[in-house]
Amino acid sequence: MEVKSLQQDGVMIFQVHGEINISTSPDLKKAFEKQATRKIVVDLERVSYIDSSGLATLVEMLKKTKSQGGALGLAGMTDKVKSLFEITKLDKLFFISQNQQEAVTKIK
Amino acid sequence: MRENATKKEFLVPSDLSEVQRASAKVLSFLEPLDLSEAFSFDIRLCLEEALINAIKYGNNFQRNLEVRLVVEYDNRKVQIMVEDKGSGFNPKELKDCTHQENLLRNRGRGVYLIHQLMDKVEYNEKGNRLFMIKSLEKRGVKG
Repeated sequence: MEVKSLQQDGVMIFQVHGEINISTSPDLKKAFEKQATRKIVVDLERVSYIDSSGLATLVEMLKKTKSQGGALGLAGMTDKVKSLFEITKLDKLFFISQNQQEAVTKIK
Repeated sequence: MRENATKKEFLVPSDLSEVQRASAKVLSFLEPLDLSEAFSFDIRLCLEEALINAIKYGNNFQRNLEVRLVVEYDNRKVQIMVEDKGSGFNPKELKDCTHQENLLRNRGRGVYLIHQLMDKVEYNEKGNRLFMIKSLEKRGVKG
């Protein structure tokens, strides 16, 4: 898994490429913990697989961001990844957008 | 399972770094079924979630203790058994992770996904052996 970080309109964007699983989710957490922005978008367009540890990592990121008065949105999920958010009802917790630009517009 | 079922046993050391390697071996064993991407995704996810729980909570990360996987398939279903050497687990003790008050808790989501994505899920009485079945009746095909 690779995580690319970039800023746009005051929003920190994490573009994730690959799988968010039990082995790789700590790397996503580390990337998140390195930054101090309170407005965050995680672009999942290139995420091919996510397991419960990946979902838990995103929930932890959301909790921390919200506790600091910020907002975290998810963007560009494949149908399969999105279905896991729907099954687990996590789609109720996050701002979910079709693509990165739409997510940045919502969050900024 | 019918008499013409194909069956294989895998022994996995209790180390989380072995999880992906084990699921890749199982998916390779299932290749003759020519499963769609979505079906392979579900089987892989459920297998990995079950393996992670067996390594973490069953075998308590003791690398010398193996998790035993038995995978069997015919043209109607894939059946996976995951057995650890722990004292057992009672799935009824898990709270519903989809209830509003539990959504942020990150507990029981892997087991919940297994129950949602598989067609049949059972435990032995002790609770250290999980059986899960994915029916191939509605399976997608590649391409």
